[in-house]
Amino acid sequence: MNSTVVTYLSQSKELTLATEWLTKALGFNASSLVAFIVFAVVCLIVVGVMSTIGGLGTYAERKISADLQMRVGPNRVGPYGILQFLADGVKMILKEDIIPSGADRFTFILAPFLCLIGVFATLAVVPFSSGFMLADLNVGIFYLLGMASLVGVGVFLGGYASNSKWSMLGGMRGASQIISYEIPATITIISIVLLAGGLSMGTLIGGQGGMPQQWYLFHNPFSFIGFFIFFIASLAETNRAPFDLPEAESELVSGYHTEYSGMRFGLFALAEYIEVFVVCGVATALFLGGYKVPFDLGTGSILVEKLGMDEMLAKNLGQILEIGSFFTKTLGLYYVVIWVRWTLPRLRVDQLMTLCWKYLTPIAIFNLLGCAVWMYAFDGKSIYSLLFESVASVAGHH
Amino acid sequence: MFTNTLFLLSAALTIGGAFAVVYSENLMHACIFLLASFFGVAGLYACIGADFLAATQLVVYAGGVVILMLFAIMLTGGTANNFNRFGLEKIAAMGNKKTYFMAGITAVVSSLVLLKIIANVLRNQSSAALEANLPTVERIGTVLATDHILAFEISSVLLLGALIGAAVISRPRTEKND
Amino acid sequence: MSTFNLDVYMPVVILIALALLVAGGSLLLGGLIRPHNPNKLKETAYECGEEPVGSAWANFNVRFYVIALIFIIFDVESALMFPVAAVFKKFNQIGLGGTLLLSVFSFVLILVSGLIYCWKKGDLDWVKSFNSQPQLATKDK
Repeated sequence: MNSTVVTYLSQSKELTLATEWLTKALGFNASSLVAFIVFAVVCLIVVGVMSTIGGLGTYAERKISADLQMRVGPNRVGPYGILQFLADGVKMILKEDIIPSGADRFTFILAPFLCLIGVFATLAVVPFSSGFMLADLNVGIFYLLGMASLVGVGVFLGGYASNSKWSMLGGMRGASQIISYEIPATITIISIVLLAGGLSMGTLIGGQGGMPQQWYLFHNPFSFIGFFIFFIASLAETNRAPFDLPEAESELVSGYHTEYSGMRFGLFALAEYIEVFVVCGVATALFLGGYKVPFDLGTGSILVEKLGMDEMLAKNLGQILEIGSFFTKTLGLYYVVIWVRWTLPRLRVDQLMTLCWKYLTPIAIFNLLGCAVWMYAFDGKSIYSLLFESVASVAGHH
Repeated sequence: MFTNTLFLLSAALTIGGAFAVVYSENLMHACIFLLASFFGVAGLYACIGADFLAATQLVVYAGGVVILMLFAIMLTGGTANNFNRFGLEKIAAMGNKKTYFMAGITAVVSSLVLLKIIANVLRNQSSAALEANLPTVERIGTVLATDHILAFEISSVLLLGALIGAAVISRPRTEKND
Repeated sequence: MSTFNLDVYMPVVILIALALLVAGGSLLLGGLIRPHNPNKLKETAYECGEEPVGSAWANFNVRFYVIALIFIIFDVESALMFPVAAVFKKFNQIGLGGTLLLSVFSFVLILVSGLIYCWKKGDLDWVKSFNSQPQLATKDK
C-alpha cells in the first residue's frame, strides 16, 4: 500500500541504521525526518532529470525535424549542437521581461507558475521503476489527471491575462481543447483500471508483464484500440501537433504565449515538454508494460539464484534495468510524438471538436464496455493466453 | 510532524483563498483564489486519509468547475470593466433591506447547521484511532456496487438530465433558415 | 501523530514547492542580469504591428461554455466510474461480475443516450451553431 521510494530504500541497512542513529541523537522518532530528506533529494534528482529531458526535448525536436526535412539542424553549440538547449536557456534568462501595459499583471505572472506546478506535481506518481517511484499513491492515475488539469487553467489564464486578441483566442481554444480531450483519455484509463483492478500505478503495471504479449496493449482488441485513442487524446491535451491549434502560428501568431517573452515563455515551454514526457510515461505504464523487464530481472531474484549475487545488489541492478526499460519505451513514444508533429498537417477547429466528440469519445465508451464484457466473459485472461490455451488443448487431443 | 504541516498548509490555503475570493474586486482574480481554496480543501481531505475524495476534488473542482467559471466569466465579457463601477448599493437587487434580511437568516441557519456538525466533534474529544491507510477507492467501489447501487444508477440519470439541460439552454432560441 | 501515515504526500508538497522555486528562482535570477528598458510601444499588445483596437476581453461564444458544461458532466461520471471499475476485477473473481457488468452497462448507456440526443440535435456540431449565430461567430473566428 502506498509504497514509495523511501519504502524501497529502507530495505537497505544503511538507511535503517541512519534512522536509528538520528532517533537516538535527536530524541524523537526520526523516520519522518529521514523520509523527508530522502524525498527532497529524490525530488531534486527527478526535477533535475526531467528539466534536462525537457531541454533535450527541444533539441531533439529541432534535430528530428531537421532530419525529416533534410536539413542539418542545430550544430554549433557543443558536439552535434547538443548543448543548444543550454544556450537557449541562458538566452531566455538574459532576455528582457516585457509585461504588456494593458495586461492583468497578477494573472500574467501567475499563469506560467500554474502550468509548471501542474506538470511538476504529476511527476510524483510517474513510475520510473518499481522502487524508484516517488509515491505510489492509491489514487495514482486519478491524482495525475487532477493535477494535469491545472495546465489547462494555466493556458487559459496565460491567454486571458495578456489582453491581446491572439492570446485570448489561443487561450480559449487551448482550454476547451484540453478539457474536451480529457474525456476520451479518462474513459480509456477507466477501461484499463477495469482490467487491472486498481488505481495506483503499481497495480496498473503489476497486471502486465515484461514480454509484449503480456502488455495491456495486446490484452484484448478493445485495449489495443484504446491505446491509440489515449495517445491521440494525449497529443491534443499537450497541445502538440496536429492539435497545436492554441499556438497555430499561421493563424494565431503564437497563441496563448504571444505576449510572453524571456523566461516566462521559457517556463511555458519547459512545462509543455515535461508534460509530453509525462503523458508518454503514462501511456507506457498503462499499455506498454511500464517498467516491467522480461524474465523477472526486475526483482533480481534470477540473478541471486543463477549468479549467487548479493540480494540488495541484485535488487538495485533490477531497478536500473527497470528504469532503462521505462525510459526506453517512453522516449520511443516521445520520438513518435515529435515525428507526428512534423508529418501531419494541423486540424481545423471544427474538425478538432468533431474528432473528439463524434469519434474518440464514442469509441472510448465502446472500448470501456468491451473491456468490461471481456473481463466478464474470459475471466480477465488476455487474448494471448486464450490462444495459447486453445492451441495447447488442440495439441493435447492429438 | 508532516501531518500537522500538511494540515496547516491546506487550512491556510483554504481559508486564505476563501477570504481572497470575497475581498478581491476583480472577478477573474476571485476565480483564481477559488482555485487555491479548492486545492486547500483537497489537502484537507488528504489529511483525514480520504485520498480518493481529495483526487476527486482536484479533478472535478480544480479541473472542471474552475474552468467552467472562467468560461462563464468570458461569456459575460470578462472583466473588461474591471471593477464594480456602480458600487454595491447602486445595483438594484442588492443591498436593500430585503436582501440583508435574507442574508442574515441564511447566516444564522448555516451557522446552526455547522454547530450541529461540530458539536459531535467537540463532544467526542478522544478521536477514535483511524485505521491505517486502507485503500478508500476499493471501499467506495464496493459500497457503490452493492449497497448504494441504486444511488449509483440514479446519479447517472441526474447527469443525463444535466447534460440535456446544458444542451437545451445553450441552443439558440430562434432558428434561422440560412 | 495519527495512526495513518501521510508521509506519502511529502513528494507532492516538495514538488509543488520546487516548481515555485524553479519558476521564481529563474525569474529572480534573470531580474538581476537582464536589461530593463520599457517604453510605451514595447508594452503594447501585438496586433500585427497596428495599435490595438479596443480590449481583447470581449464576450465569447457560448459554445465554449457548453463544452465546459459537458466536460464537467463526464468528469463527474468518471469520478463515479473509477471506484466501480477498480473493484470490477475483485467482484468478477468472486462471481459477482455479472451484476456489476449490468450496472456498469446501464450507467454508461444512460449517459450515452444523452450523448446521442445531443448528437442528433446537433449540439456537438461546431459549425452548425456557427451558421445560426453569424454575429458572434465572426467575432471569435
